[in-house]
Amino acid sequence: MIVAQDLTRRFGSRTVVNRVSFEVGRSEIVALLGPNGAGKTTTLRMLAGLIAPTSGSIVVDGVRLTRSTGARLRSRIGFLTETPGLWDRLTVTENLRVYARLYGLDRPDRVVDRVVEVFGLSEHAGARAAELSKGMRQKVALARALLHEPAILLLDEPTSGLDPEITRSVRGLLDERRTSGCAILVSTHNLDEAERLADRVAVLDRRLLALDRPATLRRRLTTGRVIVRVTGDPAPHFQLVRSFDATASIEGHTIAMRLDSAEERTPEIVSALAAAGARIVEVRQEMPALEDVYLHLMDGQH
Amino acid sequence: MRIQALVIREFLDLSRNRMALMPVVIVTVLALGLPFFIAIAIPRMTGQPLANDSDLAKVSLVLGLRDDLSGEARIQLFLFQQFLMLFMVIPVTGAMALAAHSVVGEKQARTLEPLLATPITTFELLVAKVLGALLPTLAIAAAGLGLYFGGIVLLAAAGVARAMANARTAVLVALVGPAAALVALQTAIVISSRVNDPRTAQQFGVLIIVPLSALLVAQFIGTLWLSPAALALIGGGLTAVWMLLTVVSVALFDRETILTRWR
Repeated sequence: MIVAQDLTRRFGSRTVVNRVSFEVGRSEIVALLGPNGAGKTTTLRMLAGLIAPTSGSIVVDGVRLTRSTGARLRSRIGFLTETPGLWDRLTVTENLRVYARLYGLDRPDRVVDRVVEVFGLSEHAGARAAELSKGMRQKVALARALLHEPAILLLDEPTSGLDPEITRSVRGLLDERRTSGCAILVSTHNLDEAERLADRVAVLDRRLLALDRPATLRRRLTTGRVIVRVTGDPAPHFQLVRSFDATASIEGHTIAMRLDSAEERTPEIVSALAAAGARIVEVRQEMPALEDVYLHLMDGQH
Repeated sequence: MRIQALVIREFLDLSRNRMALMPVVIVTVLALGLPFFIAIAIPRMTGQPLANDSDLAKVSLVLGLRDDLSGEARIQLFLFQQFLMLFMVIPVTGAMALAAHSVVGEKQARTLEPLLATPITTFELLVAKVLGALLPTLAIAAAGLGLYFGGIVLLAAAGVARAMANARTAVLVALVGPAAALVALQTAIVISSRVNDPRTAQQFGVLIIVPLSALLVAQFIGTLWLSPAALALIGGGLTAVWMLLTVVSVALFDRETILTRWR
């Protein structure tokens, strides 16, 4: 649905986004991770048709985004900006109604009433935006981005500063949109959120450092450490384990070993331990957190 | 529909922030009071009719001898005609604050980016911004105009009210006033989309009244008397300037710079 090819954006002599290419498909959420100044917001603005790339191309649903196609394509895109950007003196309903009309929706008042209900905003519908909490403002802004049921959603830090309850409801809404076929690109600093929400993660630091499923990215940094937890004393099995890995260690009921080709050799060890009478409770391969992967990629940059 | 949506937004915003219209109301009231003070109140207070002022009597002859009016009535007609032009222009200065704030204000409130992410075109955005400042101003000016003519009917010398109902008044009210307002507000909006501080936009925008003030002064001292045809020409010229300014403002509206360089 979105294809970005060699996207580059320079401001004067400063290159903010450098030859970034990726795709976001239908029913997919891609999380855009990166430090401050990595070019996340600039990338989203280019995809939303707000600023033009210095070079490279953006294709939305088979149509190249240009100055002449911009207005038409923007009607298919929902963009949540970094700050909610609500008109403070207007009520929640009034804010949404103006946007429903800007998107040229039929029966805008009815659409707004439905969205207010779906987003759980009924209680605040008559409140002026200035009176809302930060979380509620963000929720209204998200409702605004979804008013016209866009095929593509671009979200700049949608859960930044929100309490866990609202964060959860926002994630739920995004999950629903994914199910209904939406292509979603989310910029976030929150690695946990990226892992929970995204089908794929793009790590950006002006250029694209990695783009893959979170599990695949984590596997890249795997140490090959396998942890086996048993009931009873693991010491009688220690010699057996050492025959697989001379550096294996025991701590309490846990045996830890480092294996080359851990995925292939783990079943072999488990079978040997079971045959030797070990009562195995848990076997797991130690995986780095997405945070470790992210920091590793960033370290490689600096 | 998109222009209408944004104009409605501007009205809603103004209805919650009525103080923003106070400058328009204040200058309208002042412009309303001044001619009555000069043409009616001062002569009554001093006991000196306007007709005793030979300079005024001489200048008012630009209206012709007007056998149907007394000397006093002719001078009153001259003054009310002159102040009518001032009356049409002055409220615009009050509205400049609204127009000057329109684009840069949205940027500062961080409401511009979501707005630009919609399918709205630059032309629609700028037209909506002009109308958002123009329509309330014209409504206030129209109310003031009603009071102005009401005051003339009630307070001016016999025949003045009837004499005011002429082509010159019609051209001033229906063409020159709104066209001057459009030019001033569009200028303020062009500036508003190029600067990063509403005060700068307002200060630049107010410069538009300089040529109009010069025109007024020239009329008052009798150097220049604008006939209905001349006024119609000025109105047409102002309308053409407004159209040109609209094209210029669309060309100068640089979304990228506004979003990425302004802080």
